[in-house]
Amino acid sequence: MKLLNAFSKMALGLTLLASAAAYADVVVIVSAKNANYGLEKNDVEQIFLGKTSTFPDGSKAVPIDQNEGSASRDTFNDKVLGKSASQLKAYWSRLIFTGKGTPPKESGNDAEVKALVADNPNLVGYVDSKVVDNSVKIVFKF
Amino acid sequence: MARIKLGLTTVLLLAGAQVAYAADDLQINGFLNVTGGVLDTASIQDAASTTGYDTTVGFDAQTLAGIQVAKKVNDNTSATVQLMSRGATGYTASAAWAYITYDLTDSSSFRFGRLRTPFFQYSDFIDVGYAYNWITPPGIVYRLDSMANITGVDFTQRFTAGIMDGAVQLYTGRFKDDFRLYGDTYMMELRSMAGVALSANAGDFGGRLSYHRGEFYIDLDPTGSRALDSLAGLSKLYDTANGIVANVPGSGVVPTNITADIIPQGHQSQFYEGTLFWDNGSTSLIAEFTALRHDSAILNDDNAWLVSGAQRIGDFTLHATYSETKDDLKSGTIGTAQELNTMTTNSTTLGVRYDYNSSTAFKVEATYVTREDSRDRQAVAGAAAANYTQALTNYQTPGHANYGNDTVLAGESVAFLTGVQNAIATPLATQSGTLFNIGMSIVF
Repeated sequence: MKLLNAFSKMALGLTLLASAAAYADVVVIVSAKNANYGLEKNDVEQIFLGKTSTFPDGSKAVPIDQNEGSASRDTFNDKVLGKSASQLKAYWSRLIFTGKGTPPKESGNDAEVKALVADNPNLVGYVDSKVVDNSVKIVFKF
Repeated sequence: MARIKLGLTTVLLLAGAQVAYAADDLQINGFLNVTGGVLDTASIQDAASTTGYDTTVGFDAQTLAGIQVAKKVNDNTSATVQLMSRGATGYTASAAWAYITYDLTDSSSFRFGRLRTPFFQYSDFIDVGYAYNWITPPGIVYRLDSMANITGVDFTQRFTAGIMDGAVQLYTGRFKDDFRLYGDTYMMELRSMAGVALSANAGDFGGRLSYHRGEFYIDLDPTGSRALDSLAGLSKLYDTANGIVANVPGSGVVPTNITADIIPQGHQSQFYEGTLFWDNGSTSLIAEFTALRHDSAILNDDNAWLVSGAQRIGDFTLHATYSETKDDLKSGTIGTAQELNTMTTNSTTLGVRYDYNSSTAFKVEATYVTREDSRDRQAVAGAAAANYTQALTNYQTPGHANYGNDTVLAGESVAFLTGVQNAIATPLATQSGTLFNIGMSIVF
């Protein structure tokens, strides 16, 4: 009985660890040169789903995705957009084939997205918080 | 056969070959649906939702491939061409869309060219099977597919307000193409066609309202053998018989002219649609209502609607749908004539979608269809019409025993009108059966 208890505690610990690993700390970033200081979840959703193409201050907003299969992308899709990879694909296929929108461009991994965003005040991306430095600023945490 | 295969292969090869050269301003996307189906009975073979299937497994009815190439010409102008190859039309490639987009602002744009007519919630992406759970949306409601494309111009204004977002789309154009009904082909035209569609989403809720109208022309031949030709012919005979009987003193019959109302010559046709949906990411519900109204009487006014629910469980989505259509007949003599060509259909669909990966889905579906139609009425009316046509010929043939015999002709006219009444009193015939489908949908 004791052994079983210990075992189940260990299993619980492992599960917690595993979920911590699956959900790394992912944040939404813009260039340090961008004038916006914070975005609501709704703003992020509308920008990344192609429903608006401007930041709250009216400047042009261009979202970029990480490559398919990246852990940050899965976390972002799940926690911010609330959609699975196939649901997102279905969403975009409704727009692509009618000329009503195109999905954010796949632009590499955490470091590559950070570098691109740092250089261009119109870009908005999401990265693991570990790669954030003062060339970019965090506008949304989840 | 070689030519038939060429269409599909060419479209796919084109897709494969060009993806490699996709530049920043050139976008290539494609989709493919492979669908097989079989009916458990031949009696529902030509129902609205079973078109193209029979009691032997077939893959041609709904198998299709599409490839889209979009090229940005400058900052606010782009050109898009979508080539489609469909099993239903022998896999020959044709342009489903070909248009120029001009972005007026960040949130508004004009499109010029060959567009998809935005009749329904799913019209825009009806060929992209990956975009929805069904094999295809219920044919009972999505019954205007022969008018799916229009050549003209549209204007779209998108808007966002807090958690709400949406779009207003206005379009106008002209439609002229073949139109198939009960296995016959007609040339149909809608001139001065115009419409508006308003769609909006707020959180998990969304909706759509649309209105469309046009002036309707169709190549009817009252002496022809197609179903609508026969109906036009019958209406002429009906007017003739009524005229003859009305001439008999004391008959009390008033001459009719239903032919003028039956054969459309620019009569207005209108279409109304409304959709409500709710989707929280794992559970979704949708209801879509539609109504078709013709000023002419050759095609019946009708109402058709669907309700559908879906539940996502991991990579599987289970869904169930009920759809129904009912004719809305006109009043008076015209409405009585329409009783000869009326139909009620409903269908229940149960299905499963499995997302194999983020660009491939497999689907299995069973659709139970029940249809009441007027084919028995048409048989009775057809026999009466054949008799009466012979009587009219006899009356006009010198040397025939009944040549110029007004009394006999009046008697035959009354017999024909009685025959039509008997036809209308004949019960509707009911058929039912199940369509089984399997399919695979891919986007790339």
